[in-house]
Amino acid sequence: MFLRLLWESFARQRRRKLLAGIAILLGTTAVTAMLALATTIGDRIHKELAVYGANIVIYPKAEQLAVKVGGIDLKPTTGGAYLKESDLPKLKSIFWGNNITGVSPQLETKLSLTSDARTTDYEAVGLWFDHPLGQGVTGAAQLHPWWKLNGAWPTSPEQVVVGAGIARKLHLTPGSTIQVESGVASEPEARTIQTMTITGIVSSGDTTEDRFLLPLATAQRLANRPNAISRIEVSAQTKPEDTFARMDPDALPPKQREIWYCRPYANSIAYQIREAIPGAAAEQVRRVEQSEGTVLARISGLMWLISAAALLAAGFAVSAAMATAILERRGEIGLMRSLGASKTSIALLFYAETGILSLFSGTLGYLLGSTLAAWLGARIFSDPAIHTTALAQLTTGHVFNLVLLPIVVATALIVAIAGSTPSIRTALKMDPSTILRADA
Amino acid sequence: MAEVKVVAEIKTDWPTNTTRPDCAVIALEHVTREYAGHGSTVRALDDATFSIVAGEWVAITGPSGSGKSTLVNMLGCLDRPTRGELKIDNVDVASMSATELDRFRADKIGFIFQQFHLIPYLSAVENVMLAQYFHSMTDENEAKAALERVGLGHRTGHLPSELSGGEQQRVCIARALINNPPILLADEPTGNLDAANQTIVADLLKDLHRNGHTIVMVTHDPEMAAMAQRRIALSHGKVFCHPVGGPMVTLKR
Repeated sequence: MFLRLLWESFARQRRRKLLAGIAILLGTTAVTAMLALATTIGDRIHKELAVYGANIVIYPKAEQLAVKVGGIDLKPTTGGAYLKESDLPKLKSIFWGNNITGVSPQLETKLSLTSDARTTDYEAVGLWFDHPLGQGVTGAAQLHPWWKLNGAWPTSPEQVVVGAGIARKLHLTPGSTIQVESGVASEPEARTIQTMTITGIVSSGDTTEDRFLLPLATAQRLANRPNAISRIEVSAQTKPEDTFARMDPDALPPKQREIWYCRPYANSIAYQIREAIPGAAAEQVRRVEQSEGTVLARISGLMWLISAAALLAAGFAVSAAMATAILERRGEIGLMRSLGASKTSIALLFYAETGILSLFSGTLGYLLGSTLAAWLGARIFSDPAIHTTALAQLTTGHVFNLVLLPIVVATALIVAIAGSTPSIRTALKMDPSTILRADA
Repeated sequence: MAEVKVVAEIKTDWPTNTTRPDCAVIALEHVTREYAGHGSTVRALDDATFSIVAGEWVAITGPSGSGKSTLVNMLGCLDRPTRGELKIDNVDVASMSATELDRFRADKIGFIFQQFHLIPYLSAVENVMLAQYFHSMTDENEAKAALERVGLGHRTGHLPSELSGGEQQRVCIARALINNPPILLADEPTGNLDAANQTIVADLLKDLHRNGHTIVMVTHDPEMAAMAQRRIALSHGKVFCHPVGGPMVTLKR
């Protein structure tokens, strides 16, 4: 009988139920889309902001020590201290290792070019280009996406990319060769001349244009510093910085320190890097990190506001639809009460209707919202990789995050119950005898 | 409250309770029902004392505003007295909680309405089963048997809109009987029927009375009231009880 009453309620009040269902559907679609975007937006914004460079820089610890005599900084560029290239895989072994999406080690050196028996020194930097690390490949090209390359990145130790400034000065083009002198300056007989090929010309808008970009191994060989690196740039997915993030972990109580340590703040990741790599000093690059945090906080706030507004509107719409539906059925309510139905059993009937409606509309809203999120992701974020991924998700149907389904359905239930409760309470307060006589 | 002048003589020695109280299925002792109005209190039922025994057929009569609805609501356990004692089947309903009263109503009272109040989208048998559902559990065969008992065995699957007024009222009676309540509370049971159907329903009520059912019937119809063993007249909340065959009392302000 209960199911019969439920079924008839939907069959006979199709329009009212449809209106309430559409209200819930729209609300849950908005919430799903916002939640789906919110769960991926950090990743996406990080990728978008990755064009502004690394957010963590690692130096040799000695580099931080000021060597000043009479107010003049006498500290050499590298401070005489280096990090070890062989320590780099440790970056992926830290607690938040999977959040490290890009690593670019570098070693500054000099490149001695010989031409017509003359030797001229140029600034050079040894870099990773497409170097394997962990599960993927990384390097300077990934961390400096704004660099414009005419040609190709080096793929062998004898290849080199030249900055646009030097290329103009020396009339170098991709395919040109240069004679590079290597060896120890104090032992001229040991010096050798090596021919290297220019594979590309890079425009960066900074001092890189006045440098040669070599494979790191080549730079280490030319500098006679095997395994040495002077600086590492790291791009990591981080949680926006807050007051807690800025605290000194070593001054925190153990429990608080553990919480701080297990949150992907740039500071926590830098701290873990310092722990993992001996002699390393890691710092967050605040400009990019803060932009990311600010953008994330503002977008999240906006999303929650839209979701709350959509849910509130849905609640009011459900309330209006249920009020009319219940008013139409007050004769039935009066009759049921006179037949001995308790207020609870009548409320259960109406809440069951609301529940079924929420379940159906919430699930549909989840499907629509997930699709909308994937579509919005493809439209809002300009990164071709993200765009392609989102479109691929749309076509393959891999846009549904099942974790969101119970959350969305529960939200739909809460909104529908909250929306229909005032009407149900009013209906139950009505005097059955009055209803029956008024209905006569 | 305005003074009530009795223009017809009322025999004051008429008993307010014609039967032995220990046999009463309904017993009111100084029952008063008041409603709070705008700054004042309206007394809808004023110090009513009477009882109805099992198997008795009583007609409640009175003009509009006399307190009939208030009395019927209380007898139907839809309302509770402000003061006094109301016992139904020897249980004081005034002290019951709302939930207990719902349960008690399902067990003890069978309602017969002037407007039938059948659920339009349920068939005749389903309308009868609705009362079973809110009482305990549904039994279609039992519901069909109840319909057969009121002469509608061949119309069990019909919707109310496919039935005549008399047939709808008989479905309503079958629904009232399905849980075997000790009291049938009929509110103008023939008020919405033509003469032919009035006769059918009246005959049905007579049958039920003959079979031992207690019937409390609100009616404006003197013919229907005359079928009852006893009439309870109401005026301005006051109760005047009459024995079988006693005169109708005309009261005016």
